[in-house]
Amino acid sequence: MTPTAVLHSEWLKIRSIRSIHGSLLAVLATTLGITVLILGTTGQEQAERPGSDVLLNAFFALTFGQIAAIVFGATAVSSEFLNGALRISLAAVPRRSLFYAAKMTAIGGSALVVGLVTSFTSFLVGQLFLGEHAIGLGHPGALRAVLGGGIYLALMALLAAGLAALLRSAVAVLGLLIPLFLIVPFVLVDVATEVVAYLPDRAGQAVLHQNPADGPGPWAGLGVTAVWAAAALLAGWWAIRNRDA
Amino acid sequence: MTSIDVHELTKEYGTTRAVDRLSFRVQPGRVTGFLGPNGAGKSTTMRLVLGLDRPTSGSATIGGRSCAQLTEPLRTVGALLDAHAAHGGRTPRSHLAVLAASNGIPGSRVRAVLEETGLGDVGARRIKSFSLGMRQRLGIAAALLGDPRVIMLDEPSNGLDPEGIIWIRELMKRLAREGRTVLVSSHLMNETASFADHLVVLGRGRLLADMPMKQFLDSRSRPRVRLRTTEPARLHASLASKGLTGVPAEDGRWVIDGVTAAEIGALVAGEGIPLLELGDERATLEQAYLDLTAEDTPFAASPARNRQEA
Repeated sequence: MTPTAVLHSEWLKIRSIRSIHGSLLAVLATTLGITVLILGTTGQEQAERPGSDVLLNAFFALTFGQIAAIVFGATAVSSEFLNGALRISLAAVPRRSLFYAAKMTAIGGSALVVGLVTSFTSFLVGQLFLGEHAIGLGHPGALRAVLGGGIYLALMALLAAGLAALLRSAVAVLGLLIPLFLIVPFVLVDVATEVVAYLPDRAGQAVLHQNPADGPGPWAGLGVTAVWAAAALLAGWWAIRNRDA
Repeated sequence: MTSIDVHELTKEYGTTRAVDRLSFRVQPGRVTGFLGPNGAGKSTTMRLVLGLDRPTSGSATIGGRSCAQLTEPLRTVGALLDAHAAHGGRTPRSHLAVLAASNGIPGSRVRAVLEETGLGDVGARRIKSFSLGMRQRLGIAAALLGDPRVIMLDEPSNGLDPEGIIWIRELMKRLAREGRTVLVSSHLMNETASFADHLVVLGRGRLLADMPMKQFLDSRSRPRVRLRTTEPARLHASLASKGLTGVPAEDGRWVIDGVTAAEIGALVAGEGIPLLELGDERATLEQAYLDLTAEDTPFAASPARNRQEA
């Protein structure tokens, strides 16, 4: 049994369930759609506003696309926990670390490809609506934000995937991450601004800013998100290795 | 030779002992029926053999190796554990293609096992539209995918129609004839009696019996004769002289415990009593099984059971 064979099998798993590869395509569709919607209507107004961050404006829709990336990572793993599907998988691939590594590589790899396509396309298409305010890939920080945005989406998918292996349910993962991203920052913002800047989503989104405010810089912030994702992946690995299937 | 060897196998969940120091060997070339009441530990044992659950102590090996050590395990052991485990969003073809890819099994095997299990025409349909019987066939297709020497099936006849039950029976017999090791759990006694050559019986996680089917039936049967006569009064007198009693059964038949047909035949021939019918009555697998497991059924409806009726 070669790692390539197991990786191929994991890729077939993603491809063969419509709801899973559908959520992967939704990363692109959502981000692109919302980019067109926002920049096509209020894009020029936004750009004229003093102090507005042209990069953040271009990549604002990525915060919606990340929800689809989280759903993709969570459901790609949680499908193994439906009706004992994991038993079939582990009877075929009993080396659990190999199984887990192949699954996460397939999830992370496909999310990275779709993520990069998403950030490139959204940036280029979005700028078409901005007329004289449009920027190109040569604009300071633009290329960094395009690459970083793709990596950010892949890290979010992996964070969700690792948690799904630990919690064995996509619903539990969404129930944990959505409030963490949408509610906790607003609760914490007054008492612990510094902590908020190091949450997995806030930290990584620094890479999408022209001038990140306080907290970690663009690549350092993405690094913080990577540490979060790595922690989730390790926890999931521990669970897959040690639990009865 | 590829046998399943279970040695001193124990599995505890919290304080419950699901499998209790279990030892047996499943030999190739015959169908071994795996019997026991619900909760006796049959499915747990199968999961332990496959390395899906970790034993508390003891070992379970296939051909002398634990399942986790097998490279391309589907080529050695194929299992049907739960027909519902296949994801409803996939097609049978993609479900099998996923398994084949990981074990380096050629795509031609996917088509072959779909044909063999009668799913050739529905290979591109979503599994969620399948009946339980079709899901069982898919689970069996997955078990056969790697052309394995060892096959384990957990309740394979669930949900199958009469044709399906005959098909699976003939399939299991054929697999055993081909020299494979076949372990099949079931709670349908008549079903099991029709295909098993050997029995392993569990009760509360412990081994109750491990013997050939015929020996099992003989060991749990007491001699008993069933007959029909036109002269019951003379028969009774004759039986009474030997200290035997006949009990009337349905259709004017008589049942006599504790003797064989050979003995009764000689007796009534000597007396010239006409017989219309005479035969030994053997215990069915169901009777023998209930006799054995009477004390080891955790979920029995009532502890007292009329074994004559059972």
